Amino acid sequence: MKNIVIGRFIPGSSFLYKMDPRTKIIVLILLMVSAFLVRSLSLIAFGLMLLMVVLIVGRISVKRVLLGLRPLMFLLIFTFSFQIFFNTAGELVFTTTLAYSPGGLGVVVLLWFFWWFTRRRIPFKLLYFLVVLIASGTLLSLFSYGPIFTTSTIEVYSQGLEMALFIMLRLVIIVTLSTILTLTTKPTDLNLGLEAVLKPFKLIRVNTEEMAMIISISLRYIPTLLDEANKIILAQASRGVDFSEGKLKEKLMQIVSLLVPMFIISFKRSDELASAMEARSFVPGRPRTRLHQLTWRPMDTVALCFGLIILSTVIVLRVIGW
Amino acid sequence: MGIKFEQVNYAYRGPDGQKYLALANINLPIGETGEFITLIGETGSGKTTLVQHMNALLVPDTGSVTVLGVKVTKEAVAKKRIKLNPIRKKVGLVFQFPEYQLFEETVLKDIIFGPKNFGVPEAEAKALAHELIKVVGLDESYLSRSPFNLSGGEKKRVSIAGILAMEPDILILDEPTSGLDPMGRDELLTVFNRIHTTLNKTIILITHDMNTVYRYAKRALVMRSGYLVYDGDPQALFSRKNIENWNLETPDLLALQQLISSELGFKFPHTAKTEEDLLTMLEAVIA
Ligand SMILES: Nc1ncnc2c1ncn2[C@@H]1O[C@H](COP(=O)(O)OP(=O)(O)OP(=O)(O)O)[C@@H](O)[C@H]1O
Ligand SMILES: [Mg+2]
Repeated sequence: MKNIVIGRFIPGSSFLYKMDPRTKIIVLILLMVSAFLVRSLSLIAFGLMLLMVVLIVGRISVKRVLLGLRPLMFLLIFTFSFQIFFNTAGELVFTTTLAYSPGGLGVVVLLWFFWWFTRRRIPFKLLYFLVVLIASGTLLSLFSYGPIFTTSTIEVYSQGLEMALFIMLRLVIIVTLSTILTLTTKPTDLNLGLEAVLKPFKLIRVNTEEMAMIISISLRYIPTLLDEANKIILAQASRGVDFSEGKLKEKLMQIVSLLVPMFIISFKRSDELASAMEARSFVPGRPRTRLHQLTWRPMDTVALCFGLIILSTVIVLRVIGW
Repeated sequence: MGIKFEQVNYAYRGPDGQKYLALANINLPIGETGEFITLIGETGSGKTTLVQHMNALLVPDTGSVTVLGVKVTKEAVAKKRIKLNPIRKKVGLVFQFPEYQLFEETVLKDIIFGPKNFGVPEAEAKALAHELIKVVGLDESYLSRSPFNLSGGEKKRVSIAGILAMEPDILILDEPTSGLDPMGRDELLTVFNRIHTTLNKTIILITHDMNTVYRYAKRALVMRSGYLVYDGDPQALFSRKNIENWNLETPDLLALQQLISSELGFKFPHTAKTEEDLLTMLEAVIA
């Protein structure tokens, strides 16, 4: 919970920090669209490499960004396994037959017992689970003892493997891109940038300033609310809520005991924020002067060109069927 | 031994892994019974962090905290060698801000939430709640109200009742009287003092009010930027010079006595801790 980085600004001084927020937002959109248009695995892998270069040149720790991916771990693994096991296009690259025999099943059950009792001591829980899962599969395919009840085959096809990797890389790229934006842009700048980028929507009577304000305040409050959540967890733990254990019913209770104070505190916070804004004469929709003016620099032009080049390359490649 | 800190260091971690040292080399023994300790120190000096170690909500980075015989270290917790929940039952901690723990529909349910988690039968917990709501200075009509429509002071009282209901062996209160009116404050302090004297329970109380320290504490701890800079008798603390350096001030009653001695040249046979005590002394003089 403490390590969620989405939405958090970390001060720094690399070129990513000096760039105009408008540029960053537009380039982000261009690159995200590109990531969605790309259809081949090699291209998306190349994109990820490019992004790594940007991270290194921009002096952003890769570890930070990886931590940002952690909440998505489950989703990543789920899509990955889904593609691997259920996508049957392309060539067969791997196949194995699982034989269910009393001996084999017995060993597997033992293995899971072992997992159940040791899992609390292992730091990488998900990884441990996967290792045990794969180990039991391997066991069943290699070892049988006694009469075989039934068998099942696992087949992995080339396309499934490719798609699995592809989807994973795409998700990683998209999350990394948005992490870079919020990591390197002050909330106030983000607000200004969003406002500028959303300006065209004014023509269709959307209140863009308010939209921008809403988006940037939400982003700004994600880390604050996480801090609050941690405090609530402590307060409830001191009344005997054990967030690391419990049956389903207890788990529900634990979640309620976390969510209710969370909502109450958020409402209170937003109420206070509204009063504070009003006390400083903020009136929605009224034109406001700016303390900081955004300045466009040559660097921004370069970045924008970079984004456009990538997008057009991707479009061209897609048209010629890559 | 009740609670024992041995060379405890603790740092909060910022999002980028930066460390903010909040506790530095704390060594501190606390008796299982019979202590009335006040913990004082300027804002941000680490008081809350210190008490959150006492019921294993926070775990030391290095060093150990032994709570009622259970040795809490980072390693032991990481390997799940020890159970933390029993510690929290025995060492009750009332939080600084009640908003973080109130969540049930009614005050009654909120008060019995703690005991129920620790396996107390519901009927028993309810009976306790009816008793405790009066102890903390509210009447039984509050039990059916929603905790969210209460005033700040009322919320505070409900959250205190919620911890008292767990019947902890050691009671820790993080600024229990902030945001209360003077009458309410005195009432609650009397309650804590009564729990201390009748049940001989150890009480640890964080406060910014020197009068409370002077009146009730048997032992005072002073924190300053993560260090424990004073541990001892409150009387002796206030007779030290330069306590302003620790952002402390002389309690009213003591200041009054000092003023009388310096301006009128009056020698008190001993320094009075309560108004009644001072009055008897003055009456003796007049007579
Ligand atoms: N979750 C946190 N993350 C980072 N730093 C923290 C966190 N909580 C507290 N701190 C820092 O640790 C230090 C000690 O905080 P603590 O809450 O223990 O102070 P305190 O003595 O209780 O202050 P107060 O009298 O205001 O309640 C402070 O400098 C504070 O900024
Ligand atoms: Mg505090």
